[in-house]
Amino acid sequence: MALLIFALGTLGAAEEVIKIGLFVPLTGFAAADGHSALAGAQIAVDLINAAGGINGQMVELVYYDDAARADQASAIARKLIEQDQVVIGISGSYSTPTRAAAAIFQQAGVPMISAYAIHPSIIETGHLIFRVGMGAPVEGIAGGHLAVEKLGAQRIAILTMDNDFGVSLSEYFKETVLALGAEIVFEKRYSLGESEFREVLSSMWLQNPDLIWATAYCAGAANIVSQARELGITATILGQEGYDSPKFIELAGEAAEGVIIVTDLNRDSDRPVVQQFLQEFQARAGIPADMVGASAYDAVKVAAYALAQAGTDPEGIAAAINAIRHMEDVVTGPFYTFLGREAIRPVEVQIVRDGAFHFFHTYTDPEIIIPPGL
Amino acid sequence: MAVLQQLIFALVLGATYGLIAVGLTMVYGILKILHVAHAGIYTLGAYLALYVLSHLTDNLWAALAMAMFATGLAGVLIYRGIYYYTLRRSRIVPLIVSIGLFTAMNELFRLVAGPYQHSFPAKFGLPTLITPYFVVTSKQLLILILTAAFLVLLYLILNKTKVGLAWQACSQDLEMAGAMGVNVDWAVALNFFLGSALAGAAGVLMALYRNMVYPTMGHVVAYKAFVVVVLGGFGSVRGCILAGLLLAVVETFLGSLEWFEFPRDAIAFLVLILVLMFRPKGLFGRL
Repeated sequence: MALLIFALGTLGAAEEVIKIGLFVPLTGFAAADGHSALAGAQIAVDLINAAGGINGQMVELVYYDDAARADQASAIARKLIEQDQVVIGISGSYSTPTRAAAAIFQQAGVPMISAYAIHPSIIETGHLIFRVGMGAPVEGIAGGHLAVEKLGAQRIAILTMDNDFGVSLSEYFKETVLALGAEIVFEKRYSLGESEFREVLSSMWLQNPDLIWATAYCAGAANIVSQARELGITATILGQEGYDSPKFIELAGEAAEGVIIVTDLNRDSDRPVVQQFLQEFQARAGIPADMVGASAYDAVKVAAYALAQAGTDPEGIAAAINAIRHMEDVVTGPFYTFLGREAIRPVEVQIVRDGAFHFFHTYTDPEIIIPPGL
Repeated sequence: MAVLQQLIFALVLGATYGLIAVGLTMVYGILKILHVAHAGIYTLGAYLALYVLSHLTDNLWAALAMAMFATGLAGVLIYRGIYYYTLRRSRIVPLIVSIGLFTAMNELFRLVAGPYQHSFPAKFGLPTLITPYFVVTSKQLLILILTAAFLVLLYLILNKTKVGLAWQACSQDLEMAGAMGVNVDWAVALNFFLGSALAGAAGVLMALYRNMVYPTMGHVVAYKAFVVVVLGGFGSVRGCILAGLLLAVVETFLGSLEWFEFPRDAIAFLVLILVLMFRPKGLFGRL
C-alpha cells in the first residue's frame, strides 16, 4: 500500500513538471551562439523555478543540439513533441534550422517561439509560431536608416552571406538605403564558411565606399573586419546581430574598434532586468552576455508568461502571447506589443569601444520598429 | 597595382595550399593511400601551437617548432599504429580508416578545446612591407618566407640525401626497394614525419593568418588538398606546389570579381572536373 502511494506520488510529481523544449547548436560552426542561447534559457528557467515556478509547477528545460542544421532541427522538433511532450518549443538556433522545426511544431499543434532567428518566413509558418527577436525586415530597415541618416553614408558597399540570414537582411537594407537616396557602389554574395575576404575587399575599396554593410556570423565578421582594416580600408563597417558576440571582439581584436552593429541587446541600459541578466550571465558562462543569450532568456520569459496565463492549451498560449502589452520584464525589451506574432520592441545600435559593445543609438520610431505590412 | 596586390594574396594562399598538399602527395607517392586524416594533422598543429603559446612561452618560433615536431610524431604514429595494418588490404580500407580517423580527430579537438573559435595570439618581429604597388603585411611575409624555406629544405632532402633517394625508390616499387636493401619501414615513417610536420606548420601559419583556431578548420582543407594533389599529378611534389599556386591564383582572381558569386571552395572542384575530363593524369603529372 505504502509502495502504491509512493508510486502514485512520484507519478503525480512527474506530471506537475512543465516541459519547455529547446533546440540549440552546441556543435558545429554556430556552437558559440548555441552555448550562449542555452545559458540564457537556463538562467530564465532557474529564475522562474526559484520564484515558485509557473502557478506552482516547476519548469523543466529539455534541450538538444541541432548543430545549426535543418535536418537535425526537424528530427529534434519531432522528438521534443512526441517523446518529451513539451508544451511549447523554443528555437535557440539559426534561421534555416528554425524554419524547418517551425513547420513541425505548427503541424503538431504545439506553439513555438523563435529567440533570435530572423528570417521572415519563420513566423509565416502558422498561427502558433512566434518570435521575440528582431525579424530581418526590421533589422535591415533600421540598418538602412542608420547608415544614411545617422552615419551620413552616400556610397555604400554590400557584402552578403549567401544564406537565409544574410540574404534577407541585405534585401531590406538595400531597399531602404536606395529609397533614402544613397548609392550602392559594390555588391557581392559570399558563401557561408568563407574566411578569405582580402581580394573582395580590395576590389570593393577601389569603388571608394564610405560604408560597408557586411552580413556575417561572428567568425566571418571577425575575418571581414580584420582583413578590411589590414588593407587600410577606413570606411565605416556596419554589422548586425551576427556580430553580437564577445567572440567577435576577441577574434577581430583591435580591428573591431569602431564597428557599429544593429542588434537587440543594449548593454548600457539602466533597466534592472538587463543589468541583472548581464551579471548572472557573466557569472555562469564566464563570458560577457550577448544578444543570443538575452533573446533565449526572453523567449523563455514570454513562454512562461503565456503558460501562467493560459495553462497548457496551445490556442490559449497563442492568444496569451498575442495579448502581451508593455512587457517590461525582458532583457531585449520592453516588448510594446505583439503584432503579427512578432515582438515589437526598440532596435538597439551598439558600437565597439575599448574592446566592448556600448550604446550608440536606439530606434523606437514606429515606422522603423514595426515590420512593413503590419 | 591592384593586380599585383591580388597576386600577393594568391601567393600567400597558394603557399599554404602547397604546404598542406605536399605531405599528402608524398604519402600517396609511396603508399598509394589517400590520407584524409592529413587535414586533422593540420588542425592538430594549430591547436598545439595555441597551447604552447598560451601556456608555455609567447615565442612563436618555439611554438612552431614544437607543433611541427609533435605533428610529425603524430603522423608517424598514424602510419605505424593504423595504416601499417591496412596496407595489404584493398585500397578502400585505408581510405575508410582515414576518413574515420579524421572525423574522430575533429570530435576530439571539439571535446578537448571546445567548439569555439579561439584567437591565436602571436608576436614576431617582422615588418610590414609597403611599396607603391602592393603591401605585404608581416603575417604574409612570415608565411612566404617560411614556406620558401620549408620548400628549399624539402627539395634538398628529396634530391641530395639518402632518405630522398630511398623515397624515390619506394615510390617506384615498395617491395623492390625493400629487396634492394632500403629500410622501407623507416623510409615510410620519415616520409610521414616530414609530410605531417609541414601540414602542422601550415596549420600554425593559417591560424596566425586568420587569428582563429577551431575544430573544423581542417574540413575545407581536407578536400582542397586532394584537388591540389590531383592537379599536381598524384605523387609529384613540384607539381603539387605549382598546382597549389595555380588554384590560389584562379580563386583569388575570380573571387575579386564583383559578379562572380560562385563559392570559392567550389572553384577547386570545377577545376578538378575539367582536369579529370581532359587531362586525367593531372596538370603537371608524368604518367
